[in-house]
Amino acid sequence: MAPPNPPLVPRRDEVIRRHRSSGGRLAAVLPIHYSRAVFRAHRMLPVEVWGPPGIDTSPGDAHLQSYTCGIVRSSLAFVLSGGLDVADIIVVPHGCDSLQGLGSVLLDFAKPRQPVATLYVPRGPRSASVVFLAEELRALSRRLSEISGIEPTLDELRQAIAREESADRALADLLDARPHLPFADADFYRVARAREYLPAEDFEPLARAMLAERVAAKRPGIPVVLSGLVPEPMNFLGAVADAGGVIVGDDLACLGRRRYAPGRSDDPWKHLAESLLDAPPDSTRGSSTADRLAWIEKLATDSGAKAVVFYLVKFCEPELFYLPQLRQGLEERGLKSVVIETDIAESLSHQAVTRLEALLESVS
Amino acid sequence: MSDAASIRALGIDAGSTTMKMVGVDAEGALVWHALEEMDPRIEAQAERLLDVVRADGCPDSLPLIATGYGRRLITRADRKVTEITCHARGVHRELGHGGTLIDIGGQDSKVIVVSEEGKVVNFSMNDKCAAGTGRFLEVVSGRLRMPMDAFADTALAADGEVGISSTCTVFAESEMISLLAHGAPVERIVRGLHRSLVQRVSALARGAGLRPPVMLSGGVARSRAIRTLLAETLRQEIVLPRHPQLMGAYGAALLALGA
Ligand code: SF4
Repeated sequence: MAPPNPPLVPRRDEVIRRHRSSGGRLAAVLPIHYSRAVFRAHRMLPVEVWGPPGIDTSPGDAHLQSYTCGIVRSSLAFVLSGGLDVADIIVVPHGCDSLQGLGSVLLDFAKPRQPVATLYVPRGPRSASVVFLAEELRALSRRLSEISGIEPTLDELRQAIAREESADRALADLLDARPHLPFADADFYRVARAREYLPAEDFEPLARAMLAERVAAKRPGIPVVLSGLVPEPMNFLGAVADAGGVIVGDDLACLGRRRYAPGRSDDPWKHLAESLLDAPPDSTRGSSTADRLAWIEKLATDSGAKAVVFYLVKFCEPELFYLPQLRQGLEERGLKSVVIETDIAESLSHQAVTRLEALLESVS
Repeated sequence: MSDAASIRALGIDAGSTTMKMVGVDAEGALVWHALEEMDPRIEAQAERLLDVVRADGCPDSLPLIATGYGRRLITRADRKVTEITCHARGVHRELGHGGTLIDIGGQDSKVIVVSEEGKVVNFSMNDKCAAGTGRFLEVVSGRLRMPMDAFADTALAADGEVGISSTCTVFAESEMISLLAHGAPVERIVRGLHRSLVQRVSALARGAGLRPPVMLSGGVARSRAIRTLLAETLRQEIVLPRHPQLMGAYGAALLALGA
């Protein structure tokens, strides 16, 4: 039987145009962790900027060291070439030193036409983290008020949180059902990553439509877990399929590591902070290697994966830091892995494909 | 019956600098081979080699597997398999044991940890930089106008070594010129250049989790100096297959045979 057609995903530029023409405001948000509900309570749509891939990065090169990752490099070039002019504010969460550096470049040197706000997400589990992050989110909200002219009530914030949590549940269901969803990986990621720019209420029906196609049988192919930052360049997903692989588990920072569960506190700010801090282990939040290892192993066990592909953005220091121990730990647990480093501004190399194929051949 | 007449499966390794074709008999023995400089028209070159083997008496319509950098361009192949899997299979069959295979090719080098059953346990590749590959030796020996054999002999005859600090082929070349200009003896520089490649490859091998014995394949395996310095640096004896350059194509032929 032919696989069902994937749901039609609205394009990012269409969504932005529609939102703009209805008088809505827009925030350009850099990776990785932040609370969408805060923006939505200000009737502002957060649209994430993961690069974007494949653009000329030279406009930003003068501000950056040569070993800065492609996400930061492309993002800065995009800002400088007017790509984010449509946004009312640029928000830079401090996910890593490179993003923190980008925040400083934007605030002190490049000075885009719109205001720039930062958000510090604490690294490592500390007792004060929830209170600190809750205060950071409040400060961000005050900053957004200057643009939106809105001071959301706690009830309005709670309503926004409820909408986002519902969409987050749909995303988590998608991730869980992945081995049983009869869609190509590229189609799956197109839908799942629409969370990066679609309003929660538009994303959820899309995710549910995909979930409605769930079948009992697992997708045929060599099952792998995908780890790393972001599946760019996207033709990597086609290369996995061509090599006979299927992605059944996701540990990507842009997706699986943002599987946010609801917070515990009644206070909405603490509730939001808990939700971000309790997300799956992540290099950019300074999770321990043991936690990351246990999480990836669980993803592999639950999904029946035979190997792990670390698909990394070149020069991504937080990710590279964990790799030797993660790979050794996985090997001790009988899981083979491979590291594929790419630059989001470049196309997928022949060598990257060979590494992937060699891994799949060795577990098939 | 000619050797080619006994061929039951073929393997082609379309590497970055040479194309190799191997034929195996029903038992998987390597009975025929050809090796040529790489032609940019990969598919046409593969066809030509197929004509050669047929002219030698090889039966038509045999299973064929392609490997190597240009494997995708060989449309006649029944399957395309990576050089990692093929090298592991070829060297395991040839030597009869597992270990760590170091393959130093023209434009990349790889380390493959092979299990006692001939399976790939782990691998790592230097595929981004020419400094740990045959290309490095080619560039620096060419600059000194020394043929490869003389280049290796010079390194082994040296009574000392000059350290080469550059980690890049282009910079190593300029460093070499600068050392010569400062009067450093050429043979010590040559030994230092060999050491520089060996150190890079050794680091790759240790990173992959070196498991003895160490086996060596690829065109660079023919260099006595590289074998000697590699043994010294890794403190391991180096085991060499009979045809170090053919291990990829041999593995491909064995896979085509289903052996
Ligand atoms: S790719 Fe890595 S280094 Fe770059 S912004 Fe993301 S986390 Fe930071």
